[in-house]
Amino acid sequence: MNDFFNQALLGPLQLLGRQVLAVLPNMLAMGIILLGGLFTAWALGSFAERLFRMIGFDHFCDRVGMNAALLRGGVKTDPSRLVGRGIYWTVIVLASIAALGALNLAPINQFAQSLLAYVPHLVTAAVILLAGYFLSNFVSQAVLIAAVNAGLPPARLIAACSRWGIQVLAGAMALEQLGIAQHIVVVGFGITWGGIVLAGAIAFGLGASDLAKELLERRLVTRSKSNTDDDLHHW
Amino acid sequence: MSTNLTPLTAPTEVRIQDIGSAEILVGIPSYNNADTVGHVVRAVSVGLAKHFPGRRAVLVNSDGGSSDETPVIVARTAIDFQHLFIADQQSILHRIVTPYHGIPGKGSAFRTIFEIARRLKARACAVVDADLRSISPEWIELLLRPILEEGYDYVAPYYLRHKYDGTITNSLAYPLTRALYGQRVRQPIGGEFGFSGALASHYLDQHVWESEVARFGIDIWMTTEAIASGARVCQSFLGAKIHNPKDPAADLSAMLMQVMGALFALMEKHEGLWSRQEGSQPVPLFGFTYEVGVEPVHVNVERMVLHYRQGLTDLEPIWRQILADDTFAQLRDLQGISNTDCRIPDELWVQVVYDAAIAHRKRIIRRDHLLKALTPLYLGRTASFVHATQGLTSVEAEQKIEALCHTFERMKPYLVERWQPPALQPVAPALLHHTTTDAGGDHE
Repeated sequence: MNDFFNQALLGPLQLLGRQVLAVLPNMLAMGIILLGGLFTAWALGSFAERLFRMIGFDHFCDRVGMNAALLRGGVKTDPSRLVGRGIYWTVIVLASIAALGALNLAPINQFAQSLLAYVPHLVTAAVILLAGYFLSNFVSQAVLIAAVNAGLPPARLIAACSRWGIQVLAGAMALEQLGIAQHIVVVGFGITWGGIVLAGAIAFGLGASDLAKELLERRLVTRSKSNTDDDLHHW
Repeated sequence: MSTNLTPLTAPTEVRIQDIGSAEILVGIPSYNNADTVGHVVRAVSVGLAKHFPGRRAVLVNSDGGSSDETPVIVARTAIDFQHLFIADQQSILHRIVTPYHGIPGKGSAFRTIFEIARRLKARACAVVDADLRSISPEWIELLLRPILEEGYDYVAPYYLRHKYDGTITNSLAYPLTRALYGQRVRQPIGGEFGFSGALASHYLDQHVWESEVARFGIDIWMTTEAIASGARVCQSFLGAKIHNPKDPAADLSAMLMQVMGALFALMEKHEGLWSRQEGSQPVPLFGFTYEVGVEPVHVNVERMVLHYRQGLTDLEPIWRQILADDTFAQLRDLQGISNTDCRIPDELWVQVVYDAAIAHRKRIIRRDHLLKALTPLYLGRTASFVHATQGLTSVEAEQKIEALCHTFERMKPYLVERWQPPALQPVAPALLHHTTTDAGGDHE
């Protein structure tokens, strides 16, 4: 009876106890890492937010149209706080991965490693998207002004095309970086872009043949002074 | 004072050493002007021989790498003085033909001319464009004599122009310069100038030669810098200015950007000076004034108004950023008015210019975008001016420009209040410490 009690009941309990004792330091380490991560995330996030606010990042974002874009997307938080929160959550995620690694369990370790390996791709994709956004804003504004100054009636359409063209390209590049359906993205982008160009060409050729004629005439026969030109010397 | 020397080519250095010193220097910046530069060189040579026969003079051609024969023509153009009744030519006119270093542009060409003037210790200098067709020998006298004999430091040109010629000058450069700095220089971006050796040296010492001034905007920079440095400024009547037509495809917005960009940048530099300036003083005018017939100018007002309307529709978000709410509201009110009645009045135009200057200073958007986005507004204003002066004589049109200048001066507090500079401290003129309250003041 004693043997049965020892083998059938105490044995598993002792085993469980040993296992718990073996995992307990790891659990403790995980807790410490999580707490440390939480504190670091809070400190870094707050510091970054204050620093960005101090160097006038909000004003810069306002100038480049970022605030307006955020408002359009329903985000009412100012950019400095967004950066602070971004850093906070990045540190939390990294600390969580490190904390899971502290448990030293094979499947969790594997998962943590693959997640860590993916982080550079995530960062690169985010940078591409951000750069694409800024570039598209800059280019579309420059195109809009140039088109208006050239007297092209569809100036806003041209500017919008340039904006979306760059943003779609940046999106495709970001998806490729993330490894999401790489071939589909490239092919999809090619088909979409080709379709837009073809549609534009057909629309221009059929629907706006007079405008095309006028534009080409203006472009190719500029030197012969038409009676609509003026002799104004602005300088 | 900076002692940095502008790099010159080895043959130019040798030539300067050979010449030693000169009393007068006339500079001709050029780039592919083979058609006209011969005439300009002849006019300069005859002008110097006729009006300054006993003075040691040098002609400098600063060329931007012409692919035609421009430098060769400058070096070889001969003058038959006998046929011009000039017998007592006492000194030989030295010629220096040199390429310039630095950023391509008229500013860099001028820098080389200033450097040669400094090395040769020239007392009086003049610069004339290489594309001039109407230059006569008298221009040289009119640009140089006020410096040599009247003690002035800077001579601006005064041309006879059609009422619709030089609209950037009339609607922007002249009224704004006058309101800011208090000197009525009628052609601040004329192209032909006379200046003293001291002023040339002052120009060289400014750290602007790697900036946009070196590329363009040199004309307004020279005029403003002369006034701001306390130099004695006057004007010379040169008659009509006829020059080779500029490239018809030349971009108006680029031209506007040059002038406005330079004006606004100079406002930042000299804010301590202009913010305390009230009213304006006439600037002495030398030369015999006369009337000449000027060629009629055909203007397509309809197209300008359409440009303006398109700007109002398509550039609205940008204009809203640049302009004050009240200014934009007034512009928007013009949207429903017919093309013939669509006018930007003087007050509104002044508000637009002042708002743009403030936005430029505060860098509300990229500066090149800001300046280019003003093109439709400028065209709208030009159309308004054409409407307002149709059927008027040149003198009556000039009165309209005078009224605009008064509006710029009257509304200057609007600019000063909104400018918010870090510190508005009076800045002492740097060059010769002349008195600037009186245009004809003493040369200290």
